[in-house]
Amino acid sequence: MVIPASMYFLFSPMLIVLTGLLAERTGQPKLRDVVAVIVSALGVVFAWTLYNALQAAPDKILVFSLGGGPPLGASFEIDMMGMFMAFSATILGFFATVYSYNYMEHDTRLTEYYTLLSALVVGMLGVAFAGDFFTLFIFWELMGIASYALVSFRKNLPGPIEAGFKYMIMGSVGSTVLFFGIALVYGITGTLNFAQVSTVIHGQPMNLWYYLIFALFVIGFGVKSAIVPMHTWLPDAHPEAPSPISAMLSGVLIETGLYALTRVLFILFEPSFFKLTIAVFAALTMTLGNMMALRQDDVKRMLAYSSIAQIGYMLIGVSTGLTYGLMGTLLHILNHSLMKGLAFLSIGSVVYATGTRDINKLQGVGKMMPFTTLAVIVSFLGLGGVPGTNGFISKFILFNAALGAGMLILAILGVLNSALSMVYYLRVIMVLLSGEAEEGMTAKEAPILMVGVTLVMAVLIIVLGLYPSPVVGIASSASEALIDNISKYIGVILS
Amino acid sequence: MDATIWLGSAFALFAIGLYCVTKRNMIRILLGVEMILNSGNLAFIYFAAQHAAIGVVDPVGQSIVFMSIITGGCVVAVGLALIVNAYKHFKTTDSRELRRLRW
Repeated sequence: MVIPASMYFLFSPMLIVLTGLLAERTGQPKLRDVVAVIVSALGVVFAWTLYNALQAAPDKILVFSLGGGPPLGASFEIDMMGMFMAFSATILGFFATVYSYNYMEHDTRLTEYYTLLSALVVGMLGVAFAGDFFTLFIFWELMGIASYALVSFRKNLPGPIEAGFKYMIMGSVGSTVLFFGIALVYGITGTLNFAQVSTVIHGQPMNLWYYLIFALFVIGFGVKSAIVPMHTWLPDAHPEAPSPISAMLSGVLIETGLYALTRVLFILFEPSFFKLTIAVFAALTMTLGNMMALRQDDVKRMLAYSSIAQIGYMLIGVSTGLTYGLMGTLLHILNHSLMKGLAFLSIGSVVYATGTRDINKLQGVGKMMPFTTLAVIVSFLGLGGVPGTNGFISKFILFNAALGAGMLILAILGVLNSALSMVYYLRVIMVLLSGEAEEGMTAKEAPILMVGVTLVMAVLIIVLGLYPSPVVGIASSASEALIDNISKYIGVILS
Repeated sequence: MDATIWLGSAFALFAIGLYCVTKRNMIRILLGVEMILNSGNLAFIYFAAQHAAIGVVDPVGQSIVFMSIITGGCVVAVGLALIVNAYKHFKTTDSRELRRLRW
């Protein structure tokens, strides 16, 4: 099959490097920033073009192979579920890049910054579209390496270096463990293509090797997606990274890990095999995330723990093993990318203006930065799951799915956690709105581009909360894609 | 017998790597990560030789090993850069000294 021109977007980091070097030589550094914004906007166009191509395809699946057909060639398999991740990644990538235009203007080495940011988005797209373990692993590492460098981007401070080192070690141990798991799958099946692996493995009696592979994959993907015993890098890395990067990490990177875990689990095993384990992880992850978030005074660290809790909610949908639950998971991935992205970006504006991350010192900031505070309030209410925001819709579907799958305890835990999480969201909102500012605390509204991005995202959150049906429709077909498309993909590959 | 030797070495490398990761010295931790990666590489090479249905060693297994060596090199480069910077800030390569961020 012919590779569509839009797939060449995967080479976009190189374009930014070249323009960046040129712009630095000619003394026009703003040129590079503008090119980076344009390239990130092209990412959304790329996702949209592929979406249209996918809708036109007869089986609602696009398969491209590079270097010969499978098992030899590497292949991309694009379906609705991958598209869903691609939209989350490119849209948030666009917002983060526009936001960086003002936020990062006092930093140096911006060519590296924009290149790595673009590489991060491209890595996520590759993971979302991967059709075999080879492609998955390469893009997984691309995404990982870009994010290690971005977390420790401000290397003149000790905090980012420490957080970056911790993240780098945990993340690379995770991906090497994953690599070992892939080696074992290859040993059993003799191929790396998802379709061929699935035909060989499905229906085989479970033996010790499968349990080992399951454990290796859960650890490997679980480190990146911060499932609880493997989460310790996240509360360090997210606060220390620059705010647009925190938004990217929290909004899509950890979800990409979850997406890859879901996809690989459904390819390799029957849902009945992993349901209970994932349910236990879900309960642990959301409870611990919320408990730890309660006792934070650093607002970005609080948001980082809240991300862990949100991963727990998403795992509920995976553990049900039903299309309805997976639809909730996918919907929550998109909604969370908007809500947590907005939360980090708007809190980033507050930190940019006030220079502090301590919640108690932020009193009275609401009066000085009205628009940013509005965005903070919308995003926090969305994260808490207040009706009228998109967070409510996806959480409702998730808990409903848990009830439908007969997991009463999980649903009750989810609702209790959701209520508990409101405590720390409301605390920040209360501090921002009430009280007089401390002596010497001055803050003025952030630059227009930063405010613009946050307000657009806030509007998106409310619009998707009041009028969710189009997105729910897409999520529904995406979740069906995960289950049906394996067989369709097998048909395309093996024909 | 062959399988025991090759897979046994792969698992042994994996275990040694995990042991190294728990150590204090940052460079040692980084080498531990590389060892885990190489255990995967070794397993891949062995399996590729086993799947020689077409008369030659399966090229898929070999190509992923090449790519993983490249990405492993990138990870080491980032890791060493971080260690140099950590040494500048903390004047040590002892990872236990990096404990400013807790809770």
